[in-house]
Amino acid sequence: MDSKVTQLRHQAETEIAAVTTQQQLEEFRIKFLSRKGLIASLFDALRSVKPSEKPALGRLLNELRAHTQGLYDHKAASLESVPKRRTPMDLTLPGRRSYLGSKHPLSQTLDEIKSIFVSMGFGIADGPEIEDDYHNFEALNFPPNHPARDTQDTFFLSDKNALLRTHTSPVQIRVMEKHPPPVRIIMPGRVYRNEAISSRSYCVFYQVEGLFVDRGVTFSDLKGTLVSFIKQFYGSGLKYKFRPTFFPFTEPSADIYITCFVCGGKGCKLCKQNGWLEILGCGMVDPNVFRYVGYDAEKYTGYAFGMGVDRIALLRYGIDDIRLFYENDVRFLNQF
Amino acid sequence: MKVLQSWLQQYIEFSLPPDEFADKLSKLGLEFEGVERTGEEYNGFVVGKVLERTQHPNAEKLSICKVNVGTGTLQIVCGAPNVAAGQKVAVGMSGAIVPRNQHDPSGKPLPLSTVKIRGIESSGMICSEYELDLGKDADNILVLESNAKIGKPLAEYLGVADIVYDIETTPNRPDWLSHIGIAREIGAIVGRKPKLPKLKLKEAAIPVSKHLTVKVQDTQNCYRFAVRMICGLKVEPSPRWLQNALKGLNLRPVNSVVDVTNYVMMECGQPLHPFDYALLKGKQIIVRQTKRSSSFITLDGQERKLPDGVVMVCDAEREVSIAGVMGGANSEISDSTVDIVLESAYWNPSSIRRTSKLLGVSTDASQRFERGADPDGVLYGLNRAAQLIVDMAGGELLKGVIDIYPRKVKERFVPLRPERVNLVLGTKLTTVQTVRLLRLLDIVPTKRGSKRLMFRVPSYRVDITREIDLIEEVGRVYGYDKIEDKTTATVDFAHFFPKESHADHVREKVIGLGFCETITNSMQETKKAILGGATPARISNPQNREMDTLRTSLVPGLLDVVARNFNYGNNDLRLFEIGHVFSRDESERPKLVENFLEEQRLCLLMTGMVAPRHWGSPSTCVNIFDVKGKVIDLLEQNGLDKGKFISYSTSDSLVENRIALEINGTYGGYLGLVRAEVLNTFGIGQEVFVAELNLELLAPTDKSLYEPLPRFPKVKRDLGFIVDVGISAEGLQKSIKEFSSGLLQGIELFDVYQGDQLPAGKKSLAFSLELMSPDKTLTDAEIDTEVRNIVTHVQDRFNALLRSVERST
Ligand SMILES: [Zn+2]
Repeated sequence: MDSKVTQLRHQAETEIAAVTTQQQLEEFRIKFLSRKGLIASLFDALRSVKPSEKPALGRLLNELRAHTQGLYDHKAASLESVPKRRTPMDLTLPGRRSYLGSKHPLSQTLDEIKSIFVSMGFGIADGPEIEDDYHNFEALNFPPNHPARDTQDTFFLSDKNALLRTHTSPVQIRVMEKHPPPVRIIMPGRVYRNEAISSRSYCVFYQVEGLFVDRGVTFSDLKGTLVSFIKQFYGSGLKYKFRPTFFPFTEPSADIYITCFVCGGKGCKLCKQNGWLEILGCGMVDPNVFRYVGYDAEKYTGYAFGMGVDRIALLRYGIDDIRLFYENDVRFLNQF
Repeated sequence: MKVLQSWLQQYIEFSLPPDEFADKLSKLGLEFEGVERTGEEYNGFVVGKVLERTQHPNAEKLSICKVNVGTGTLQIVCGAPNVAAGQKVAVGMSGAIVPRNQHDPSGKPLPLSTVKIRGIESSGMICSEYELDLGKDADNILVLESNAKIGKPLAEYLGVADIVYDIETTPNRPDWLSHIGIAREIGAIVGRKPKLPKLKLKEAAIPVSKHLTVKVQDTQNCYRFAVRMICGLKVEPSPRWLQNALKGLNLRPVNSVVDVTNYVMMECGQPLHPFDYALLKGKQIIVRQTKRSSSFITLDGQERKLPDGVVMVCDAEREVSIAGVMGGANSEISDSTVDIVLESAYWNPSSIRRTSKLLGVSTDASQRFERGADPDGVLYGLNRAAQLIVDMAGGELLKGVIDIYPRKVKERFVPLRPERVNLVLGTKLTTVQTVRLLRLLDIVPTKRGSKRLMFRVPSYRVDITREIDLIEEVGRVYGYDKIEDKTTATVDFAHFFPKESHADHVREKVIGLGFCETITNSMQETKKAILGGATPARISNPQNREMDTLRTSLVPGLLDVVARNFNYGNNDLRLFEIGHVFSRDESERPKLVENFLEEQRLCLLMTGMVAPRHWGSPSTCVNIFDVKGKVIDLLEQNGLDKGKFISYSTSDSLVENRIALEINGTYGGYLGLVRAEVLNTFGIGQEVFVAELNLELLAPTDKSLYEPLPRFPKVKRDLGFIVDVGISAEGLQKSIKEFSSGLLQGIELFDVYQGDQLPAGKKSLAFSLELMSPDKTLTDAEIDTEVRNIVTHVQDRFNALLRSVERST
């Protein structure tokens, strides 16, 4: 068997030297290296040798195969470098693709919002979607039997005390319960409102909540920070205004409006003809909230803000139906 | 809250164009939802004077009129029998649209133009009250008052030209639910106080107490209860100005008495209720709670079930009104009413809200009471209404008021430290400036000190009880726009929170693996929600049955997405969702909210072709090993090489061929093929594979130290074994690993064969072994020895047959 290997090795070396064309090279490959070629037949013969000789002989054969393959590769490379005529390949055939992943437009919008606040020194916190009355309402200064609760359209669970959070604000409470000031965080998450489903509203949506508590935090700081956010997110040319409003957990409170970017402030369907879009609610944390979480309201002040991510994403991508976000048609998702 | 411009101007003069007016009010927090002009249907109609009337030459019933409309004289052909020279009439000019066409059966509007009627030119129309939608008479023209000014727009003449502002109010400001309340805010803008209507009451000699006694039993919830009586009045429709005012606010005029109570509520915010005195039994009014459940028919004709404990106004025998919410039909004002009792009260806000919620009724009155009406407005509203009723319906106002005031609301004084204003707002206001701003709202200092001032707050400002409430008012009146935008608050970098959640981290990795992110509703119908296996949490007030339960698994939501996409012909899907799943759990496990567990998960889903179709590759469908491979990729990307798969032959209600995953010794989720029965219920006719993992356990491990690269080359050997089909590849591989000396650095299964080439009940498994020593280049002999030992071990241990040994590259 050994001698056969040596003999074949010489034969291959002699024959490869004579190869000058691609066709001859292919004939060489078939003769020596193909599945029915000379080397393969030696491997077949390996089955009939004594087991004790097998490993050594196997090694020899593998070496022979590797050597012959090397001769072939080398010749192939040298033939390539000579200009020649060959069957033209159709290079217009499509390339081999993979499935591409995509990030949901709501996640993309959330990421953009997060990255701006993270760059301004905010951290990120989260909390549960099933909440209790205390965190969702009471500690946020919504007294029991107060009309302000009506604005929340709450889904309740079968246990009286449990509900689906109507805003991300309870995370404020959970964070302040655990951490003494200073606190500087944003809290993104899913919230629930029992509102009729339409192209403008869905029963589930996303909010980003923000909170900054420390000594000496003022309404003026709140304005500066959120104006910076608005400019980074929407562009610095945009007009904005802060207007008084009411939230139980902040005082003073404000709604922030920006010039409608569809009509540029002239009035259109989107902005209900008044030229402004409401994009953010904010205010100074109410001292009652500090009392609930055990912060000293004389020492510390703070601001909080919240915005609806779905609405921002609708405006940003010019989407006219909020339900598209939750239907997950891949023809929609693949656009982002 | 809707307000009328003309109504506001009774209390305060202002002349601002609507846009500017809206902007100024919005700076104070009153946002306009809409501005609407009324009386626009009378555009093109003016007051005219008939100068001359002559007979139409070609028609007996028609006349030709020359009409002065101020801007000129028009020739109009008119068919009404009552038209005469000298009359002041309503003229619709060419281009105007007549609200109702009397020749059209359904009374459709009619645009006017110059036409020839039986050969005579006619420019416009002299209108009947029917045509102007002011009454029923369609035959005669409407004759206006003789002093009407020629050329005056008809809308102005009729008093219907107005602007209606729809203002968004907030629940903390009940005082904004009235014209006077809005006028006060305008006062803060223009720097003048609104003038309230002067009251001049003429009372009869007989005191009201002679005809009526009032007892308040429920002093917990009735803070104040006041009544007056008017006797001998005549109930008729209200005058036009009052009807117009109510119509402008979308309120339906009823009769003079009822209309006045509504008008006064909209004027000063005090809800009032009139009773027909003749229908009150026993000349008595008693305020008490219902003692047992009963039923009661309210003014709107609805029968309502009253539970016990509802505060009611009663006569000597029965209930006559649900306090602060709605009156009863049994004591309603009618055309035959002669004597009335007028109620003005102040109720405990939370009691009114409880009743309103309990009965599912919200009225203009309950909305004001539950937010907190003005305790000092009780008598003003009562007197104002009494005066207007007497003015309109006649009758005598009995002497005095029965005013029971068991829970007197005290005058409110609130302290303020001027420095605190600047501390919260970031302003630099002086004390003088602060005081001046608050004075604009009638909040006046009573005690002055350098550090702490005391302010008296008007009774209607129920929202102001604390220093912060005053600070808000200062900021609001000063103007948020004037507060500087600055970012000088210090950031304490010593205290920080994480910058990224691991959900964010995992999301990026999964997208990199070629999956599309989805976001689905967490509320599902019960039969889907229970597929996850845990006890689900149920919503007690769901929108519908399709959304009455919270998901216990992310899989059903994703299957809905699959079904939807199949409908649009997209059958090759790789989807994922990161979201919370919920369950009820009454065990002792620690929870954030009692009885409920919540967990963040990642779900991967694969169905359809392994890769996009390509001319150069065979098309194959995904199977369980594609999902398994993706899970391993993900674990490895997160540095979790301790993942362990445990395959069970069993399946649960959701998946079969279930493989459980253990991460660092903890159960971390599962993967498998979704059961055909489940897919059927979603209408999916194609194999779907899923993996659902606990996100917390996917948290990337801390980066360990760098491992130096090996200095010596590795050698590869491929080993093929023939074994019984029952032997698991993983078990065999593990056994080789455990057996081998330190030289074996890696082992990988690369081929599995079962078929004709092998005896029945056998399969062949081919492994690729990597051998290496950290200290030297291995010699052939060393390699052969190691391989031989491994082969012998496998042969002995698994009764295996060696099929091949090959060097591989
Ligand atoms: Zn617009």
